[in-house]
Amino acid sequence: MASYGDEEHCQDYLFKIVLIGDSAVGKSNLLARFARNEFYPNSKSTIGVEFQTQKMNIDGKEIKAQIWDTAGQERFRAVTSAYYRGAVGALVVYDISRRQTFDSIGRWLNELHTHSDMNVVTILVGNKTDLTDAREVTTDEGKTLAEAQGLFFMETSALDSSNVKAAFETVVKEIYSILTRKVRLSQEHKKHEVASLGNGKTVIIHGDTGETDGGSRSWCCA
Amino acid sequence: MEGGVGGIGGSAAAMSTGEQWCNAAAVVGATVMKKRKEIRIDESAETIPHFFGFVVFDNLLLFRVVGVVVVGSSAIASGRRFLSATIQLVLTHRANLKSPWSRRRRKRGLYSQQWNALFSPDGKLQDEVKFLKKVRSGGVEPRIRAKVWPFLLGVYGLNSSEADRIAVETQKREEFVKLRHLCAQLSGHSVKAYKKSRKMDSDSDGEGDGVTEVPYSPISDYISSSRQSLSIEGTSPGITGIDGHSSQSIFIGGGSPADASSDQSVSQPILTKGEKSGHSIVSCANSAFREEDKSGIIHADASTVDTNPSDTDSSVEAPDCMHNYSETAISDVVDHYANIDPLKWDSFRSFTSHHTAEDYVAWQRIIRLDALRANAEWVPYSSSQVAVSEDKACYFADSVGLKDYEHLEPYRTYHAARLVAILEAYAIYDSEVGYCQGMSDLLSPIVAVMEDDNEAFWCFVGFMRKARHNFRLDEVGIKRQLNIVSKIIRYKDAHLYRHLEKLQAEDCFFVYRMVVVMLRRELSFEQTLCLWEVMWADQAAIQAGIGKSAWGRTRLQAPPTDDLLLYAVAACILRKRKLITEKYSSMDEILRECNSLAGHLDVWRLLDDAHELVVTLHDKL
Repeated sequence: MASYGDEEHCQDYLFKIVLIGDSAVGKSNLLARFARNEFYPNSKSTIGVEFQTQKMNIDGKEIKAQIWDTAGQERFRAVTSAYYRGAVGALVVYDISRRQTFDSIGRWLNELHTHSDMNVVTILVGNKTDLTDAREVTTDEGKTLAEAQGLFFMETSALDSSNVKAAFETVVKEIYSILTRKVRLSQEHKKHEVASLGNGKTVIIHGDTGETDGGSRSWCCA
Repeated sequence: MEGGVGGIGGSAAAMSTGEQWCNAAAVVGATVMKKRKEIRIDESAETIPHFFGFVVFDNLLLFRVVGVVVVGSSAIASGRRFLSATIQLVLTHRANLKSPWSRRRRKRGLYSQQWNALFSPDGKLQDEVKFLKKVRSGGVEPRIRAKVWPFLLGVYGLNSSEADRIAVETQKREEFVKLRHLCAQLSGHSVKAYKKSRKMDSDSDGEGDGVTEVPYSPISDYISSSRQSLSIEGTSPGITGIDGHSSQSIFIGGGSPADASSDQSVSQPILTKGEKSGHSIVSCANSAFREEDKSGIIHADASTVDTNPSDTDSSVEAPDCMHNYSETAISDVVDHYANIDPLKWDSFRSFTSHHTAEDYVAWQRIIRLDALRANAEWVPYSSSQVAVSEDKACYFADSVGLKDYEHLEPYRTYHAARLVAILEAYAIYDSEVGYCQGMSDLLSPIVAVMEDDNEAFWCFVGFMRKARHNFRLDEVGIKRQLNIVSKIIRYKDAHLYRHLEKLQAEDCFFVYRMVVVMLRRELSFEQTLCLWEVMWADQAAIQAGIGKSAWGRTRLQAPPTDDLLLYAVAACILRKRKLITEKYSSMDEILRECNSLAGHLDVWRLLDDAHELVVTLHDKL
């Protein structure tokens, strides 16, 4: 959800962002690194969902990113997908040292499109770049897939921190920029506003209702 | 949390003393670490009381002992023992926490003397009500857990004699070994284990750490079995070659043999080479099952083995039975298993036809991922497993196809390997559930307590009899559970329930994790085990048909219930009613509250609340 505060606090934003991807690709550690600058080499598997709220400053505005960390095992999808609802951003994560996790990306994107009610700002994240010797998915492959699917792309390492902040910020900035364009384009529509971007992506951001009118909008490539 | 415990060494004897229980019981999650203090104690007749005096004193000052670490012991020979113990205390403000030193617990739990006194000369539990009553009111003393749990978890009947139990043990061991065999065959990692074991045999001749000197353990058994089966030529075409190629050709039926020669394909299940090969494995296993007669090399008829165990001494019997086993081909393994439990085999077959083979492969993969990141909270409670040598740990890890464990300490590697062995076997045993994340949370404490894989496996099976519903793919079980929590809250506190309704949170999804891993993530290791023991005792009482009247007018007027955990979970939420109704205006906030309960719960208070709820509500539900 992207909720606007009261009139007097209209500069406060809350963006809901989901972290999805196969088991043990490092979703929880990406979040731990981003939100608390921590890393747990033996972090437990996530059961169900957890979330963290992180404040960010974009263009002088305070933005809260509510980041939902979900369980990776297929079996939990029915449970976790309920949490895609209302999300305006998503990090779809794979592990560059395990090809299988990259091969699952298509399934995760389908899942996201099925259960989130709008076009979500999505970044494809190849995590664990610190495992250089064990790499199974090249940067180019990741880039190519991202381009084909119209996603942002970044390779990260939660262990050595590289690009973690950047990955989250990319998503949040994009959501914010869509939002501000939207506000600029249609001042008079307070409730239902649509913002279009030059690259053809369309994202609709609603108030707290979480409802949508553009549910199955297709993805456009940049 | 682990930071509260500085390290461990010292003697196993010390770990098994009564005092140590109290010490161990005090190792709980530290929440607010304020100050550390080191105290040296010389153990002698005079100092023990001081030791206790000290602890009580601390307790009165509202401090909490969170870690007791024995760092060295010496000089037992003289008859006068000096146990030099460094007690690392992390002093914390107790705030609203109830001390884990709760008098209630120390008085009422099941102690070893009581436990021993419960048995008749032929080894029968004479007073099962007393037994369960003790456990229900205070859990089990840590050092007898390994003996008590098989009774609580239904591995042995409460009425069984010692002879019965030996027979059961033998038969279960057989079955477990067969399951492990099947796992190894499906994975193909036995090849590497074989190579490694050969290497170790030549390397470690005469050394105390040689695998052959490991006390009886199924892990070493199924390793030696696969070793033997690989070295005996001609028993079954295609499976007996000691090189990876011919072994693999059995499994993947036409897959690239080159894969087998690379280390990776051996240590990583061959199945992962893609769906195609995965399918052919299963069809191969199935066809092996169908063509069981054609193989013509059935050495041990399963029914014979099961009903007439030729050796009663399990430690002697094992190699023998393994020998029989080793000469059988995969078809026999499958055949054995089918004969032991046709129902289970049916479900395995239906799993192979209803699910894709990818599922089992996925389970194998996730099991390994989870095993490697199992936490080490069990360490202070299991000194013998902590002392495992690096060689042995690596050997076991390789034998179950575990890799990427180099960053772990040997005891963690060993623990992970045992988790893999048991979880894989379980995935085949109960293929409807297979493996679901969270199951390793439930198994890890069992593995820490039970040194023997076979016992650990069957205890886990007993645990899962009820818990498995939480992990089912169709989610019926977990929904039912959440629904009960919701009902408990509705009956107990209409105001809170209405608030939840307003927030559209009356489905109680926010307790999902608590229910699925049975408060393991919220409670400390020791407290979790106490909760589970009480819960198991309830379930065992119901299983044994011990009715309401048997509990008499004790404090435990609450009749045993299958759903004690759910009452405990509901009690957690009810404790937060003020916060929830006054401060929280969304389900998210409640979820966050629930996810941050770790280290803030006291199991005995929780159980008191839960029992109270049972008394007032069990009729309504």
